[in-house]
Amino acid sequence: MGNWRTEIFAGFVGAILVIPQGITFAYLAGLQPEYGLYCAIFVTLFCSILGTSSMMSGPNTAVAILIGTAVLPLAGRGSPVYIDFVFLLCLMVGAIQLLFWLMRGARIFQYLSPAAISGISAGAGFLIIMSSLDSILDLSTFKTTFFYEKIYVIISDARDLVNPFSLFIGLCTIAGGYLGRRFSPRYFIIIAVTAGYLSGLLVAFIWPQPITELEYLGRMPLEWLPFSVPTINMEYLMISTKLIPYAITIAFIGLAQSLVIVRELKMETDQDINLDKEVYAQGLANLLAPFFSSFAGAGSFNRTKANQSLGATTPFSGIASAGFVLVLITFLGPILTYMPMAAMAGTLFIVGADMIKWRDIKHYAKVRAELVIYLATFVSIMFFGLATGVVVAVFLSVSVFMLRISQLELTVESSDSGVLLKVKGALFYASLAHLTERFHSHFGKNMTVDLQFTTHIDQSAVDFFIRESKHMAAHGARLTLLINDKQGHFLKKLGASSDIELVAL
Amino acid sequence: MQNMTLFRKLITVVSLITATSVLLMPSVVSAQQGQPTIEQLLQEPFLDDYYSNVVYGYEIITDTQNNASRYVGNSLNCSNCHLQAGTQKEALPLNVAGMYPKWRAKNGKRNGIGLRIRECFLYSMDGIMPPEDAPEVLAISAYVSYLSQGQIMGAEPEGRGVPTLPDTGYDPNPANGRAVYLEQCASCHGVQGEGMAGMPPVWGLNSYNKGAGMNDIREAAGFIWANMPLGNGKSLSHQQAFDVSAYLNLQIRPSDPRDSKFLKLLEHLIN
Repeated sequence: MGNWRTEIFAGFVGAILVIPQGITFAYLAGLQPEYGLYCAIFVTLFCSILGTSSMMSGPNTAVAILIGTAVLPLAGRGSPVYIDFVFLLCLMVGAIQLLFWLMRGARIFQYLSPAAISGISAGAGFLIIMSSLDSILDLSTFKTTFFYEKIYVIISDARDLVNPFSLFIGLCTIAGGYLGRRFSPRYFIIIAVTAGYLSGLLVAFIWPQPITELEYLGRMPLEWLPFSVPTINMEYLMISTKLIPYAITIAFIGLAQSLVIVRELKMETDQDINLDKEVYAQGLANLLAPFFSSFAGAGSFNRTKANQSLGATTPFSGIASAGFVLVLITFLGPILTYMPMAAMAGTLFIVGADMIKWRDIKHYAKVRAELVIYLATFVSIMFFGLATGVVVAVFLSVSVFMLRISQLELTVESSDSGVLLKVKGALFYASLAHLTERFHSHFGKNMTVDLQFTTHIDQSAVDFFIRESKHMAAHGARLTLLINDKQGHFLKKLGASSDIELVAL
Repeated sequence: MQNMTLFRKLITVVSLITATSVLLMPSVVSAQQGQPTIEQLLQEPFLDDYYSNVVYGYEIITDTQNNASRYVGNSLNCSNCHLQAGTQKEALPLNVAGMYPKWRAKNGKRNGIGLRIRECFLYSMDGIMPPEDAPEVLAISAYVSYLSQGQIMGAEPEGRGVPTLPDTGYDPNPANGRAVYLEQCASCHGVQGEGMAGMPPVWGLNSYNKGAGMNDIREAAGFIWANMPLGNGKSLSHQQAFDVSAYLNLQIRPSDPRDSKFLKLLEHLIN
């Protein structure tokens, strides 16, 4: 164990950072703020106890947005049935993540390209900005199909829709955040929240609530051990079949983010990290979450970074953070009562704006395929929501990956006796087309194919060689394959030896 | 010839309408008869979103301190004034969804049922006005619409609000009110109006504020006459009810949330 004082201080800072996030992410998930704080306490705690890294888990933006989109069509925001469904959804998410762990599924996330992950994060940032506008402008929630309709309605009906007091507090928060970042890049969220809170107090001092119609956070009925048993009965299970696609998406997105963080930690620090164990920790934490009145979570980029920069290297900082949230909330509760929602939304706006990074776009613009993945993911999230965007991202990264590995590196050396073809890459049904072209262009000559640097040969490739050698033999040419031992064994098993001349090297 | 086809069409349409109405009739009747009570709802194993909100609303009304503590600033429950969870006549019953939206002089605008509930949190519960889409507000409006089933839209339900007491010809006398209070009310509400377990405080910082409807002498007198002492309503005379009401009106309680603290401070500084 490292220096325990460092760990505890890092936990304290993590707790301060997570409180506004927990409250706002609970809002995104359509739940009362205390559920977000329970998530910040219990998901962080379980994940750190069971895990191996200094990653800070807890309430996560993308997961919270997805919970909201999944359950809102089924029940009214924050109603008892809504909360039951959220708990049911989180149980499913935890179970799916544990299934991932059982199948050693951590490898799958290597196929999700970094561009796709950045695209998802930028798209989630855009969604956060749009939903923070609701609270900053104090709009009564209205549903529009696409975001530009909402912007159009806001602009065209600004005088009726926008609450100037709320807008003032929101702008103070955002300005406080961006100014605060100049002086203290680490704690600027705290500065933003404080600026919003103070401007809210000023507004409340001059104008009474019936005039301003401001939304406040209100008192939070917090318990130290909020046990709850998720309701499960036949009717719920019938309805919850609609939640399964979302549960899979949330499980996938949550693990993808956690594992990206853990992988970075593994590269940058010398922590003894086990990826599979992290999947297990996250899955079990989410499975246990509903029993402690909290929703599912995932690793947090910003808090892990803060944690790392303060020198924390063990899971102990996460455990300390969970404890500090509990203590801080107990003391801060009465102060937080008069926290305007516009101030919370202002911090959300900053968080969202931070997720769309110019640096990313410039970085990925160098490679066209990466840029396409990034932009396609971002645009599809803008128009069709996070779940669709994730599907697009996965589909595009897998197809780019497929296109890349189906490309063969062929070198041709022509001599008097025939043609020598060196094949690098994987030889399988998708990549055969390239080889066929070469065979056709050198038709009628003796061919020698060097397979030493071929990584993989499948049945259809062997069939192709047999067919070609027969075809060539009919025209008086000969096919020779240069192979290594392992390939020879495989080719003989498939019956290639009788027709083709195999030369083992 | 044309007339004949028209006649035939008419007959088919009429017969279709009668057939459907006959088919639908039993279900309509049974729906009205089978209106479940809250007790029945509480025993159901599965409730859809609306009914579970009704139950949640009922729980908020009966135990506001625990179920809607987010927006409550004093130690009252809704059912302290809306007796029997808002089902008792002449005790501010909650079966009034059909009367909203309506114009109210209190805020000078068109009030939906949502705004009415939110203002209750601000004044009577001396708390924070919840947002329009707060789960608590939606649950209470679900409960109010549930109670209002069978009422005529726009018409006043029987026993709405509190009875309006006739003019007694005398001004309300707080000194006499104090005597009546100590004799009749103090055993439950306390000598200092502080209340006790199950009995609400009627003044002090844990009671309703100066913007609440109960702070109006006529309103409070009507409520007191019809319902107080609890279980023995209409035992006081009209004049006694007015006196007690005037006595309560003079006591210390949280300030009216409509007043600007800034203007109050300015006034204080100028004087």
